[in-house]
Amino acid sequence: MSDVRIGVYVCHCGKNIGGVINPAKVAEFASRLPNVVVSRDYMYMCSSPGQALIEDDIKKYNLNRVIVAACSPRMHEPTFQAVLKRAGLNPWLLQMVNIREHVTWVHEDTPDKAEEKAKELVAAAVARAAHLYEITTEKAPVAKSALVIGGGIAGIRAALDLANAGIKVYLVEKRQSIGGKMAQLDKTFPTLDCSKCILTPLMVDVARHPNIEIYAYSEVVDVSGSAGDFKVKVKLKPTYVDWSKCTGCGLCVEKCPGRAPSEFNEGLGFRKAIYFEFAQAVPRKPVIDPRYCLWFTKGICRVCSKVCPVGAIDYEQKERYVELNVGAIVVAIGYEIYDMSKMVEYGYGKFKNVITGLQLERLSDADGPTKGKILRLSDGKEPKTVAIVLCAGSRDEKHVKYCCRFGCAAALKHVYYIKHSVPDAKVLIFYTDVRAFGKGFEEFYQKVRSWDDVYFIRGRPAEIFEDKDGSLVFDVYDSNTGQLINVKADLVVLESAVVPPKDWEPLRRLLKVSCDPGGFALELHPKLRPFETTADGIFLAGTIQGPKDIPDTVAHAAAAAAAAIGFLLKGYVESVPYLATVNEDLCSGCGLCASVCPYDAITIEEKEGRRVAKVNMIRCKGCGTCAATCPSGAMQQNYFTDTQILSEVSTLAGGAK
Amino acid sequence: MSLDVKLIDKKVLKDVIELVKPHTPQYCYQCAKCTSACSTSKVLPEYKPHLIVALTRLGLIKELLNSGIIWACSECWKCAEYCPQDVAPVEVVIALKNLAISMGYKPPEDLRVMAKNVVELGYISPPIEVLSKEFEMYSRATLGLPQLIKPYINVEAVNNLKKFFGGVYE
Amino acid sequence: MSKFLLFLGCTIPTKQYAYEISVRNVLPRLGIELVDFPEAGCCGFPLKGINKKGWMYMSARILSLAAKKGLPILALCNGCDTSLRKVKDMLKHDEVLKDEIAELLSREGVKLNFNVDVYHTIEVLHDFIGVEKIKSLVVRPLKGIKIASYPGCHMLRPSDIPRPEPSGEPKKFDAILSALGAEVGYYPDKGGCCGATMLPYSPKHAFRLTAAKIRNMKDFGFQATTTSCPYCMEMLDSKQEAIRAELGDDTLSIPVFYITQLVGLAIGLKPKELGLNLNLSPVEEVLERLGVSLYE
Repeated sequence: MSDVRIGVYVCHCGKNIGGVINPAKVAEFASRLPNVVVSRDYMYMCSSPGQALIEDDIKKYNLNRVIVAACSPRMHEPTFQAVLKRAGLNPWLLQMVNIREHVTWVHEDTPDKAEEKAKELVAAAVARAAHLYEITTEKAPVAKSALVIGGGIAGIRAALDLANAGIKVYLVEKRQSIGGKMAQLDKTFPTLDCSKCILTPLMVDVARHPNIEIYAYSEVVDVSGSAGDFKVKVKLKPTYVDWSKCTGCGLCVEKCPGRAPSEFNEGLGFRKAIYFEFAQAVPRKPVIDPRYCLWFTKGICRVCSKVCPVGAIDYEQKERYVELNVGAIVVAIGYEIYDMSKMVEYGYGKFKNVITGLQLERLSDADGPTKGKILRLSDGKEPKTVAIVLCAGSRDEKHVKYCCRFGCAAALKHVYYIKHSVPDAKVLIFYTDVRAFGKGFEEFYQKVRSWDDVYFIRGRPAEIFEDKDGSLVFDVYDSNTGQLINVKADLVVLESAVVPPKDWEPLRRLLKVSCDPGGFALELHPKLRPFETTADGIFLAGTIQGPKDIPDTVAHAAAAAAAAIGFLLKGYVESVPYLATVNEDLCSGCGLCASVCPYDAITIEEKEGRRVAKVNMIRCKGCGTCAATCPSGAMQQNYFTDTQILSEVSTLAGGAK
Repeated sequence: MSLDVKLIDKKVLKDVIELVKPHTPQYCYQCAKCTSACSTSKVLPEYKPHLIVALTRLGLIKELLNSGIIWACSECWKCAEYCPQDVAPVEVVIALKNLAISMGYKPPEDLRVMAKNVVELGYISPPIEVLSKEFEMYSRATLGLPQLIKPYINVEAVNNLKKFFGGVYE
Repeated sequence: MSKFLLFLGCTIPTKQYAYEISVRNVLPRLGIELVDFPEAGCCGFPLKGINKKGWMYMSARILSLAAKKGLPILALCNGCDTSLRKVKDMLKHDEVLKDEIAELLSREGVKLNFNVDVYHTIEVLHDFIGVEKIKSLVVRPLKGIKIASYPGCHMLRPSDIPRPEPSGEPKKFDAILSALGAEVGYYPDKGGCCGATMLPYSPKHAFRLTAAKIRNMKDFGFQATTTSCPYCMEMLDSKQEAIRAELGDDTLSIPVFYITQLVGLAIGLKPKELGLNLNLSPVEEVLERLGVSLYE
């Protein structure tokens, strides 16, 4: 082969490496290996002088391969690649040898053997370096548009930030109005702001923003393409109302005789068969629910079409589809409340006066089924004794294993609701740990526990029973006072566990996003990259990544938007250097590679009368599965070719010389 | 009266963990839901399953075993059913009972009699005559029920039973 | 499935005779063939506090003997049913335990085999005979009588092994009672404990637990209660008078039946065929309403 001139640099990494082995000896050993022109050791190779050492040597000794024996490439490969670039070399002529995580950090007890291992690894790298070649990456343009799936506060924040950066945003929401869970809340903690008052201006901003197009009552049904160039198919569900004609006057809703349980009110109270999601809905357009509409179920009525002044009712409306082309996707589909009827012992679903925290929000909301009065559901009377049960279903191996994160703060807020509506109510909060971690939370907790007739009891009810008058009776052991308390409560509020949306699995698979053990979207790194995924171009905003309260959701969504903006405004996507490459002379077109590619990056194509594999350079993520599968060796992976790997293996097998 | 920290030891918990596998008493976060549920605790307030688990986790079981209160467990299994961390306090109590016996403690008299009966007769009690509503005494025979045979006739079977239960009544 | 090994456990064949009498007279009339299992003996559940392995050995032995006979087991007692199923589950998942028990059994010439199905009275009535069939055979409906089903702890828990009532509530039990024409309903702590296991420690405290159940049933307007467990029956029925004395409360009085006694009554059997003269609670109150004399 042509003149291979290798420079070897062995790092001490302070005491991390130098404290276990002798880097100078390793460097000395390397200097005697074939093709090695210069071999040094240094305290901190990644430092400025360390890097300068390499850069100077490249120029002085006309090096065309550089080996750095130091920490993991995941730490500093980019650092040293930058050095090569500065010195005018292709960055992929760098080979790092991990003598820290793989040698000195794990073999502290046997330093002699560790040093031998370091030498062997360096020898293998030297053999491999001879087979390294220049790698260049390809660029492809990126569509300057984004899809935001989910119109809750996370989706709204992300959409606004993206739109303000000049990016065209398509916001898809499965309900007929944006707003999400935050629209269902009465107030927000700890400031006790009216939730809709701070939310609806943002909803209007979204509606009026020239860069945002809302697809409400719609769902994403197909995603193809790759980062920078996604093709998304959206299904617009039939609303049976022509929204382009509808003025939102509401006459149809007023006159409709149909009745259905209200989803927005969490099953409390009723709505009509044709209905707005809520009064401040955006878009403020009604939808007919055919399950409850008298025309659809019995063939009678049609009052709505009779009274509509603009003739917007269209019972024949069919579902429609649109195809969108976007560069990035932000997943902001939120969370759901755990089905508390699964905790049979608490009687939710059986006993009328056992409700969830979210249902209490609906009772407390002035727009809710009881016009803001907190009343018992069984008889409409004011509850004089209210029990709030924290951790209902959470931190429970049999139900939901993790903490819901905002239950404690929500409970404090709920105490406020109850005392505000029924000032002489006795409120008992049954807790195990109070997690008041956020800004202003401790102060709020302090205030609440000082209120009249409010009691914090460290205990957890095991079973809840119903008395003849609809009140709930149960025992709770108070571990603070060591007493078993016999509780009789008019109303029991369960601060319930929180789970990912139960039907998000198909969407998740379409996007190729992994999930964590709780079923939430898996982030790229829990500490450093919580709003990105392993799927390029797909970002996570809000509680779909894990339970969080509104401030954390907004911060998370803004971060996702910022990352998406950075990705889109760069203007291009770059192929990974570890690309799979096809030697068409060897390829028989068997198609095994295409069948195992997790990124759908390989197609088999006709070329000059033969069939050969073709790799999409942007879709390929360099996982190596195809190269490992290819029976003929036609498929090779840049930086991990068979020759390169085998040269290391045979050096290691033959022993360091 | 305070407790010397040197007395806190994990050996008891480790032994109990082996005996109650796959349940996980080491995960208890003392929510005391078990004690809220406990049937025995409702009539005998000194009996608190969460406290028994807490003492076990610290290895402080001497006084607990001396008191004999672990034999009060009604084995209703509510604690295990409702525990959010699969601690299964009832299983911890059963393990403590077994440990106590191996340490020489004796169970309540009635249980000792049951053990003796099982080894000698194969049932926890011999067949008795019962009084009916009309103040007549009835036995299996006079009720027309088939005669009972001794279930453990094999010598090795009886030896097995003696091995397990012999210690408590001899 | 209609042929079962009749597993009586300890308490039924030595004391709670009414359960055995009513089962032997009722189930065959509903199409169930019962085969005697006299070599079974005690399931060991009451002794697990003394030696857990001893208990497992005893139940494993019963499973193995049944497997040899090639028939499923009908366990009448809630405790026996739980015991056999729990030990079966433990043997399935613990190889070391399985080997130990197998060795013990081999000493007496029994091969360990836990591949046998275990069922309980309520399952046989509800799942194998079925409420429709029971309903069709009812000639003396328990009309107008509000009966509190008392499942007992071990019909419901622990729910990580198969239970006769898997939902945590006695739905099958109440369905059977409804098929008999009785009125069923809710009362607090339906799944609560009768206290029988507390008897060796302190009968007084055990009585208080039972008393609380009877109190709930009375407060919620029930005229009778029924159970499928001889231990629960012992507390609710046999010890009812002692409970009244201990609590000093004469209103703690309620007729208590075995479920099979109620089924028998509804399908037209005579009280003597159901061992009803052995019930110590005021069962005549219910029999009167059905126009039946206790001594028929």
